[in-house]
Amino acid sequence: MISLLLIPASLLIFLVFGMPLIRYVWLSFHASSVITGLIPIPNNGGNWIRLINDLRFWQDTIQTIRFSFVSVTIEIVLALFIALILDQSCKGRGVVRSLTLLPWALPTTIMALGWRWIFNTPYGPIDQLLNHLNIGSLNILSSPNLTWIATVIADVWKTTPFVALILLAGLQTIPEDLYEAFRLEGGTPIQALTKITIPLLKPYIFLGILFRMAQAFGVFDLIQVMTGGGPASSTESIAMYAYINAMRFLDFGYSATVMLGGFILLIISSFTCFILVYHSTNVQEKITS
Amino acid sequence: MSLILKNLGRKVNHSWIIHKLNLKVDKGECLALLGPSGCGKSSTLRLIAGLDKPDEGSILIGGEDVTNISPVKRKVGMVFQSYALFPHLSVAANLSLGLKVRGVSEVEQKKRVFAILELMKLEKFAIRLPAQLSGGQRQRVALARALLRDPLIYLLDEPMSNLDAQLREDLRPEIRTLILGGNKPVIYVTHDQHEAMAMANKIAILNEGVLEQVGTPKELYENPSSLFVAKFIGRPQINIIEERKEELKCIRPEDIKFKSNGLRAKLEYKEWLGSEQLILFKTSKGSIKMLCKGSDEIPEDAYIGWAQDKEHYFNKKTGYRVNKLLKY
Repeated sequence: MISLLLIPASLLIFLVFGMPLIRYVWLSFHASSVITGLIPIPNNGGNWIRLINDLRFWQDTIQTIRFSFVSVTIEIVLALFIALILDQSCKGRGVVRSLTLLPWALPTTIMALGWRWIFNTPYGPIDQLLNHLNIGSLNILSSPNLTWIATVIADVWKTTPFVALILLAGLQTIPEDLYEAFRLEGGTPIQALTKITIPLLKPYIFLGILFRMAQAFGVFDLIQVMTGGGPASSTESIAMYAYINAMRFLDFGYSATVMLGGFILLIISSFTCFILVYHSTNVQEKITS
Repeated sequence: MSLILKNLGRKVNHSWIIHKLNLKVDKGECLALLGPSGCGKSSTLRLIAGLDKPDEGSILIGGEDVTNISPVKRKVGMVFQSYALFPHLSVAANLSLGLKVRGVSEVEQKKRVFAILELMKLEKFAIRLPAQLSGGQRQRVALARALLRDPLIYLLDEPMSNLDAQLREDLRPEIRTLILGGNKPVIYVTHDQHEAMAMANKIAILNEGVLEQVGTPKELYENPSSLFVAKFIGRPQINIIEERKEELKCIRPEDIKFKSNGLRAKLEYKEWLGSEQLILFKTSKGSIKMLCKGSDEIPEDAYIGWAQDKEHYFNKKTGYRVNKLLKY
């Protein structure tokens, strides 16, 4: 009987999540563009064959993975340091904690505009500084080898607080007397970090990776505002490519295929993370017991 | 090897949580720090371990002043109330971690861990995680870790408060032989007077950070130096029979007897506890508790009294003992 009560919620999830997904899958097997007069015509998986042979899609995939992997790695390391600092008890800790969260609370478009200005050539502060140091302008936002680094920096700046918050929550589940017992046994603070904190924080680190990977894989707004995918598509993400196909080329069938391709890649990477999380959840149970 | 606390004091938020504490624990002696929660007994233990710094006074272990020495060098074996076992490490790894960080060779580590596991009958659980152990087993691992430290003094912070009554009784002899037999000073923090009396040679009663009395369990029971100690030691609690202007007259429930020419008492209620029963009488001097044999017949109306040499007198204002020491 209880399962009957689940029907409204399941229905809602199906309508807002399942239906669009099914529609996407259906659309990815149809040609639906200006050429067909936006009428979906079955094309026997032609979209998928095109996707597999689409070099721009694979380039975007590599760029998306590069962006996600580099920024998430940096975020986790930085967030661990920040969380360790925020976990210390001192005066005004609440204020510092709130301030640390500020970048995360800022709308992405606004902070992306700010970072675009910071990296602006020749008026942005970074260029000004480089000129002062007689290094000369790096043309950060117009050199294909550097621009993606700028987007990573902006992403790290924005989302590190989020990861730090997750890790801070994890740190607070570790009882203080474990550290005290370790201290009495002769452990140094560094050993406490490597032998107690990090092993016990593992589930939270994986949780942070999982959340951030899912977000970074679908990155759109930050890159759209900061670089528009350029220069020379060097920062374009899968989500952006899907958007361009739908909104610029009005090829909805192929756009759906690109989005699904990205979705499958995301599932694979998330699943990998999930297995890692699963293997460390037993550690979490031990903390709570 | 003895432990001496001299004038020890610690302030938190400008108020003393431990003040002018003087104690001496000799080797092979077990001192129980007893008191209600918040009396400073755990804080005292933390000061001795070196986890907190005193604001006043000094700590001497084996004649050496260790007040400003790091916790490791004090070589204390501490059992935490929560056991503080590392949840991500197996029992064997929990035990060897300390040896590892102190730079003991791997062969030696294995040898010593195995020996202690055998001693504590924990061999079967060597590869289990703390979460897979029962409360009593966890407690034994915590004890094993303290033993393995080969400390100069043992500090036990309510080591049995997380166990059920039966297990506590079972573990008492084990702890006594393992730790008290080690010929080292032992400090045992507890809020349970029965446990303190069973485990310790000496009991120190703390009240709001101040030492009320220190002595053998017998001394504390027979001649409490203050009303606080009298109320804390002995169950059921001592009767206060207010009489004189400045003094309180107190008699223990077990010293109250039926007496034909005594005080007229009306039975209010009784608790039958098996070997004994607790009776509450209503008298002209207020409610009086009495402890008598479980087999005794209790009349509705009775006359009760007590021997004069069982009377304890305490100052009404200060709570200190007024009359001479009693001889039981």
